[in-house]
This record gives sequence, structure tokens and C-alpha cells, in this order.
Amino acid sequence: MTIDDISTLIGRVSLRDRAAFSELYKNTSPKLFAICIRILRDRNEAEEALQEIYIKVWQRSDRYATGETSPMAWLSAIARNHAIDMIRARKPVANTIDEAYDLADSSPDPEKSALNSAEGRRIDTCMQQLDSDRADAVRKAYVEGLSYQELAELFNVPLNTMRTWLRRSLLKLRECMDQ
Amino acid sequence: MTPQKPESGDFRRDEVIAGEYVLGVLSVDDRRRVEARMVLDRSFAAMVGRWQDNLSSFEDEVEPIAPPTRVLSTIERRLFAEAVQGTPAGAASGGFWNSLALWRGLTLAAVIGMAGLGTINSALLSDPKIASPLVAELSGDGSASMNLFAQYDGENGTLRVTPVAARQTEEKSLELWLIVGDTPPQSLGVLPQTGNGEIVIAPELRAKIGEGTTLAVSVEPFGGSPTGSATGPVIAAGKARNR
Repeated sequence: MTIDDISTLIGRVSLRDRAAFSELYKNTSPKLFAICIRILRDRNEAEEALQEIYIKVWQRSDRYATGETSPMAWLSAIARNHAIDMIRARKPVANTIDEAYDLADSSPDPEKSALNSAEGRRIDTCMQQLDSDRADAVRKAYVEGLSYQELAELFNVPLNTMRTWLRRSLLKLRECMDQ
Repeated sequence: MTPQKPESGDFRRDEVIAGEYVLGVLSVDDRRRVEARMVLDRSFAAMVGRWQDNLSSFEDEVEPIAPPTRVLSTIERRLFAEAVQGTPAGAASGGFWNSLALWRGLTLAAVIGMAGLGTINSALLSDPKIASPLVAELSGDGSASMNLFAQYDGENGTLRVTPVAARQTEEKSLELWLIVGDTPPQSLGVLPQTGNGEIVIAPELRAKIGEGTTLAVSVEPFGGSPTGSATGPVIAAGKARNR
């Protein structure tokens, strides 16, 4: 099943086509189920989450805009948001967005910039420019849904250090992909 | 792509917050605040969308796992049983708020609000005529089922809200929120179930209502949000201006 096929199915679902919904589910649910299991680490909860996720897919299919985002990215965002909400509600973490963010000054490297193609780069290339432990932390946050606290324990660094790691890494990634 | 400078003026911080949201490291409260801002701030929503697209390639290495077959049948039963209730006959007995058509309409309103709010806001703000009553048109889209007109009387602190498409209201309430800058939305109260009426603004909030503040309406459980933050979809939002 190609990306275009999935896009088309979502479009048909937005027209309330139940057969398309069933086909979309059959083609995409193994991926979304795996995402839920990895974040929730519990098969039963992942099953419940999957129900809610596909109900949202049905309800929100008319919001999917072809071309703006890939259909799998759209579906996985719905799945991840639901699973992350579940674990953050289960194990609350501190509110942080009102705090001061320790962000390094922007310092694009002129030599590196010159090497970049006009189309921007893929995330993989940019991830390779991060220190390997920071790149691991970014990936684990996303893939396993780990909190700052869990990441700090895993990497054996203070909580604030982990926050700074991830925040600066996000900026570096964005700058790298913008180039 | 360089998004327009967001209103907060701190583009890099916004990029980081959008990235943190997509990574999933924020608290539940912070996640709701990010989502509220996405509804109101188109360029910020674009930042979030871009991170979602960029980071989703991490999923490539995830091995798919087939869910048990019962999950699909449960989903279909839940969805299509609701759809049957949403037929006109069902809507008549189940009431306006239970009608599927309404919920689809509200979803549409929320989306179009997100896409078009920038334009709506700038249109409102580019018309800074002097004189009295402070009004805000809280709109989704002409074709959507919910448009509201809010009129605030600073003299006596009453805010009159007229839902243009309001009819019988059951089981759900519309709650009105005040958003000043980047602060979390503050509840101004639940709109009268009759669909037309006035909310008396708490005296301590009156000073905050002025030109440029944002009014938003969310769908909440009957009686209003149980948590003090908006829990349901934001169906309409608009900035106040002097008329």
C-alpha cells in the first residue's frame, strides 16, 4: 500500500465510506498498535487506545489535508498524542513551559551551511550531527514516550541537564533542517 | 520554510516548545495549552505540524504488530451505532447536541478556525474604529453550525453572547474563555443553556477584557469544564475590538 493509497483511503473515510475505513484500519493499525504498545507498555491499554485512536481518525478525517503532511505522519500523530496523553495522565510530570528555557545562541556554521542542498536535509542526517547520547535521548523521548525525569535517570544526568540537552538538540535539528 | 514571527516574539523558544510537544515530554496541562495555542496561532500550529512530519521518520524502524481482530469490530460497533443515532429521526429524539451532523459541523468549524483565524484576526484588528461597545465575532466558518456574537458592556460588566445557530441544548455546555497573551485561558462562565443570554463577568476579570484579548468557546460537559481548563474542542474564537 503506497502513501497515495493511504491518502486516498483517508479521503474516502472523510466521505463516510465504511469500507474504506475498514481497509484503512487493516493497512495501518499494525503500525499504530505497535506505537501504542511501545509507549504504553501494556497490551490491554494499547488495545483500548487503538479503539479511541481510530474513532478519532473517523471523526477527523475531513481535517486531513493531502500534501501538507504525509498520511502516516498524520495517523501516527493521532496515535502518539493519544498514548502520550494516557501516560502523562497516569504519571504526571511538572509543568515547564512557563519556565525560562536555557537555549544556546544560534550559531550556524558557515562551512556546513555551504554544503547543504537547497531542499533542506532529512532528520537522519541532522541527527548524526548531534552528540550520540543526545541523539539517543531525542529518539527515546519520541519512540518510547519517556519523560524528562525518566530520560534523566536513564542517561544518569540531572533533570535540568536533560532538559537542556533536548531543548538545544531540538534547536540544532531545526537549524540543520532549515539550512 | 520560515514561519511568520509568532506573537510571543520568541521564535526559537516556540520552536522548542512545539518540538517538546511532539516529542511528548510536556505535562498534560502544558499539552492542552499548546493545543489551545495551535487553534489560535496558525504559524505556531505549522511549527508543530512540521515537527510531526520530521520526527515521524523515527517510526520507520518500528515493527508493526497486528492487533486482535476484535478491536476493529468494537470500533465499528461504536462508530456506526452512533451514526444510526445521528439520523434525523435520532436527532429529533436525541436532541441537537447528540446529532452527528452537529458534531461533524463543529469539527469542521474547529479546523477552519485553525486555518483561517489569522485572517479573521487581522481583519478584526485592522479596523480599530473608536467608540464604545467591545464586540467579538467568534466564528468558525459560514458553513459551520456555530457562530457566536459576543458583546461586552464595560459599564455593568455584562457579556452578551448570542450563538447564531443555538437551539435546544442538552448534555453539553458551551463555556466561554478569556485568553490574554500567552496566559492559560480563564473561564468567563458557561453560556446559558437557552442559547442566548448574558454572563456577568467576575469583577476581578473585568479589567482584563479589552481590545486584542481573545474570547474562545469550547464544548464542555453539562455545567462546564470539570477541571478549570478547556477540555472539549474549541469551536469558536475571536479577538475583541472596539466597534
